[in-house]
Amino acid sequence: MAIKEKTNTQLLVDGILSENPIFKLALSMCPAVGISTSVMNGILLGTAVLFVQVCSSCTISLVRNYIHPKIRIPTYTLTIATWVTVIDLVLAAYVPVAYKAMGLFVRLIVAFAIITMRLEMFACREPVGKSFWDGMGMGLGFMVGMVTLGVVRELLGSGMILGYDVLGFKPLLFFILPSAGFFVVGLMMGFFNWIEVAYNRRKEV
Amino acid sequence: MKEIIKITFALTISCVIAASAMGLTYTATAKAKKHNHHMNVQNAMMGLLGFGGDNPAPSDLKFLSVHRYIVEDGDKKFLGYMVPVEKGSEEAYEMVLIDLEGNFAEKLEVPVSAEKAEEAHDRAAALQKVLAPPKIFTYADSSVIATAGGKRLGYVLPGKFPGFRTFIHALVAMDPKFELLGLEVMEHEEDAGLGKEIEQEYFKNQFKGKSFEKLKTLEVIKKPLPMDYKKYLEKSKWEEGMFTEEHIAEIRKQYKDQDIYAITASTISSKAVTEGVKNVAKKFAYRIGKLDSVLKKQEIHAAF
Repeated sequence: MAIKEKTNTQLLVDGILSENPIFKLALSMCPAVGISTSVMNGILLGTAVLFVQVCSSCTISLVRNYIHPKIRIPTYTLTIATWVTVIDLVLAAYVPVAYKAMGLFVRLIVAFAIITMRLEMFACREPVGKSFWDGMGMGLGFMVGMVTLGVVRELLGSGMILGYDVLGFKPLLFFILPSAGFFVVGLMMGFFNWIEVAYNRRKEV
Repeated sequence: MKEIIKITFALTISCVIAASAMGLTYTATAKAKKHNHHMNVQNAMMGLLGFGGDNPAPSDLKFLSVHRYIVEDGDKKFLGYMVPVEKGSEEAYEMVLIDLEGNFAEKLEVPVSAEKAEEAHDRAAALQKVLAPPKIFTYADSSVIATAGGKRLGYVLPGKFPGFRTFIHALVAMDPKFELLGLEVMEHEEDAGLGKEIEQEYFKNQFKGKSFEKLKTLEVIKKPLPMDYKKYLEKSKWEEGMFTEEHIAEIRKQYKDQDIYAITASTISSKAVTEGVKNVAKKFAYRIGKLDSVLKKQEIHAAF
């Protein structure tokens, strides 16, 4: 299998670039559209997802030989839910201000397709080390995607980056609104594909 | 059959492990969470009393809690107020029992430290010592009296009243003459975009400055909120030079005895809050009057 030949670095880079959860796999689109209105939101939710992904991947990988095949999906959900509750409680206790803005989305991580998918595709077959790097790659890929979306939307929507006024005016309020999320995600996806195609063509030449 | 037992066993074990992990985290974060909640309440109280920003609180500002209990002794019922009293330099607490007509019945010293008195659990344990069976006591609420320089600055009262769906938790602040200083909505589950607007300044700031006389007959009216009044209420959106001193005084005078403008499409929530505030304020004004007169007659030197 192809996966087995990949080194840890490759796993990490693949998660960020060629298998980016948002722009390539098009998974977990609801938070991508819903909460990517600012860079800070992207960083926070990205960190939460990274944490849950890495922890869940490692947990499932550790017990992969003991999971009954018939109840593997409930087991994944249970694992994810546990880690989500942990990060939810920690965020609520130590960063209450940020938690107030994204509390609902943190709880929604339980239902993120990307995490369950990685557990099913990768962590339940591979050893802990590999699963860790895969989880890192996927989590970072999600974070990069969220932050990129955040930069575009925050800059164009409110003229700011990380709350600092960069442009001094608001180019298009539209980009802050939920519907703009679809447009930005679509455009970014196209942009990523375009770069990939251009890169491959150059390689051939 | 064997398969089912196996699956059940596996799931049970997983659930137990998951539950213990969650439980451990909860215990570990409980303290920080409580601290956050405490800070939230403190900040809200400061804001209601008008401190914060360019108006720092006086250094001797104190929030003193008066805990109210309902005490039953056989078929007799009393209201019990746990009052902080001055006893030398130390803070002590006394339980003052008042019967339903407002006459003094009994006073008991409560052996509890200031820190522990704020914890519901520790407080109940201390009270258990002085109010032994057949006396039964039930906790009602805690009101906060803000003092500075030996004078009362105001009262901050906890309000819990039914909203559109479930209870709305709020803080109501009054000055010593029972004029409303403000309202802060702490927790609620009203509909987003509709009843949730009770959090907004243009609604909650309408209560500010209502006299006790007006409050007794305060009602909700279904009329659009005038534009200039709305701008005035939304204090955090004020821009420099938007309101001159005279302008503010004029608006204040014009709307001083105005009823509460309902939130569009959320009359039930608006009414619930208005009635709730009215009730909390009226009841407290009555109770603190009775308590004060008892404290004075019995020469109990309360810390407020």
